[in-house]
Amino acid sequence: MASDLFTIGASGIRAARAALDITAQNIANASTEGYVRRSVELSELSTAGGYNRISDISLSGVRVDGIARNADAFRQGEVRRTGSDAARAGAELAGLESAEAALEQSKLYPALTGFEASLQRLASDPVDPALRAAVLEDARTLTRTFAIAAQGLDEAANGLRFEAQDGTAQVNLLAGELARTNVQLIRTRPGTSDQATLLDQRDSLLDRLSEFTGVSATFNANQTVEVRLGGSAGPLLVSGANTASFAMTTAADGTIGFTLDGNPVALPAGSLAGKAQALVSLRDTRTSLDGLADALISAANGAQANGTALDGTPGPPLFSGSGAAGITVALSSGSAIATAPAGAPAGSRDIAGLNALRGALDSADIAGGTSGLIFSVSSAAAGRRVTSDALDAIAGSARIALEARSGVDLEQEAVNLVRFQQAFQASGRAIQVASDVFDTLLALK
Amino acid sequence: MTTISTSAFYERSTRAIADLRAQAGALQTAIGTGNRLARSSDDPVAAAQLRRMARAEAFAAVDKGAASRASTDLTLADNALSEFAGQITRARELAVQAANGTLSPAQRGAIGTEIRQIGAELLSLANARDSAGHALFGGNGPGSAYTVDAAGNPVYAGTASAGELPLGDGLNVTRGVTGPEFLNFSASGGPTTLFAAIKGLADALQGAAADPAQAARAALGTLDAGLEAVTTTQTVVGTRLAWIDLVSERRTEAGELRAEQQAEVGGADLAETMTRLQQTMTVLEASQASFARLSSLTLFDLLR
Repeated sequence: MASDLFTIGASGIRAARAALDITAQNIANASTEGYVRRSVELSELSTAGGYNRISDISLSGVRVDGIARNADAFRQGEVRRTGSDAARAGAELAGLESAEAALEQSKLYPALTGFEASLQRLASDPVDPALRAAVLEDARTLTRTFAIAAQGLDEAANGLRFEAQDGTAQVNLLAGELARTNVQLIRTRPGTSDQATLLDQRDSLLDRLSEFTGVSATFNANQTVEVRLGGSAGPLLVSGANTASFAMTTAADGTIGFTLDGNPVALPAGSLAGKAQALVSLRDTRTSLDGLADALISAANGAQANGTALDGTPGPPLFSGSGAAGITVALSSGSAIATAPAGAPAGSRDIAGLNALRGALDSADIAGGTSGLIFSVSSAAAGRRVTSDALDAIAGSARIALEARSGVDLEQEAVNLVRFQQAFQASGRAIQVASDVFDTLLALK
Repeated sequence: MTTISTSAFYERSTRAIADLRAQAGALQTAIGTGNRLARSSDDPVAAAQLRRMARAEAFAAVDKGAASRASTDLTLADNALSEFAGQITRARELAVQAANGTLSPAQRGAIGTEIRQIGAELLSLANARDSAGHALFGGNGPGSAYTVDAAGNPVYAGTASAGELPLGDGLNVTRGVTGPEFLNFSASGGPTTLFAAIKGLADALQGAAADPAQAARAALGTLDAGLEAVTTTQTVVGTRLAWIDLVSERRTEAGELRAEQQAEVGGADLAETMTRLQQTMTVLEASQASFARLSSLTLFDLLR
């Protein structure tokens, strides 16, 4: 059979149309998140000759083999891995920064300095009711700033737990979506635009999942994915159509852990891991803050008990309660501050008791402890910021590398438009020629 | 073939410009606040130093108030001591007059009355108040320094020593003198008080002594000893005032050093920060301009 010029031209037109469609699709999705550039795979269509017609010309044009998706599995894996690390560092940094802000913005250290300065001022005239009232008010300010700092830390921890709870729900949601995508992928033929769309969806779901937890993904021959939490030896989260149930557990001290189908699982990366780490830091900071408040209470009350108040009686406790959130001023009047030593008469201006109180605060080193606490939190935040910046830059360049490889280049698409338009016109020309040839044959007399 | 996808180009440009903007923002904050550090974690060590210095500054302000109060009280004590000296001198002049053997008993009696009056004034001087209204010579005790007993004799009611006032950095000053420190002294006849000496002289001149002129002559030595005790105490007070000045000077110098260190540790060097901001802005403008140029370059414009 002779080659059919009409059929060849028509197949060329079909191929050029398909390529133009793909080009337009690429241009339209140039800025779509997770879209991977598509291209048309063409192959020559020629029938093998029949019996006794081996060397005959039997060409049938071109056919669209399939739609290729220019994905780069290695770089996608890198984006997931580095993105997980950056998300973990970012979440931990955010937690530490909120701890730092709670300690700094409560102005705990200035309030403590104010209280001690007020005590020192009282030394110049220990029986002055105004100076005594000032000490009491500064003590009240100090207890309130303790409460504000404690509340700030608690709020930050609550916020982190809430976000982690939400993240846990997101992980389950994304795992469910991935399982559904797996099911659809099994039913889809390779090389179709349907499959390309599903693969885009699969990769972008994996991407979003890796923001929350570190995952390792294994791709099967049928393009379905197996997702494990953590490293490649971690427990299975998604396998085919099945998902394991991921859950968060909250300990009594406010720190969080995670379970998969009831078994505890350690997350090495992802924002959930970062939040868990930040909660541990917040708990430690809160414990230290409580320790400082308790040290203040015992130092002040101990010195008070050994001194004499203005009316000649032994000094009652200055603070009551316990912990940063519970500390309150117990005295109702400034005259009960024990400025005089034990056994002094009423109205004594002897400041030995006051000096003992200041000495007790000094040797308990509450100011030093507070400064040290702020220092340890802020230097941890400074260190994590360096790590986070570095991981962010790494994740950013991995993403850019992936996009450079599998993203849409508008210039190239513009060239493709012209090229496929020309191909379309040329195939049309071939049909024109076929028509002319046919007319010539018909015109034979 | 290496292609640069459009989204990679935009992503890279966005990152670069956002980085520059963040840098410019941080520099602008530094210029606006004058502080290099917006939060402790910007430089934890410097922040801890700044906290320590702010604390020292708060205490220095209190110490300054304490020093000025101690200075005022000691000056008041000094003035009162001068008046004591004046009264003792006056009593001594009267004693010299009374020692004259030609005076009649009535004249001596009149001198005795005047001396008794001096004794009363000395008592009110001894009960002088300090700037806060407390007994100037009563030590740490409440109420007046001297009370009068049933026999009409002044009795010291204060504490044995005046309290010490902290002036900062572990330095203290004794903030006053107690009455017995200068009103009790030893004369030829053993330890006595100024009040007893004055009262004894007045009594003697008003007929208690067989030989009033001799008693007045004997009182001269006692009064001299009393005057010496007062002037010695004045010297002590003057030395304490000088000590407070010295400590204050030291505190001022330490404050200046601290301010310098604060500026060095936490302050933003304006010239340097402005220059760096200018540099950042130049780069930012250049990258914005090149971004605008590059992003407007598209093949679609050229294809007709």
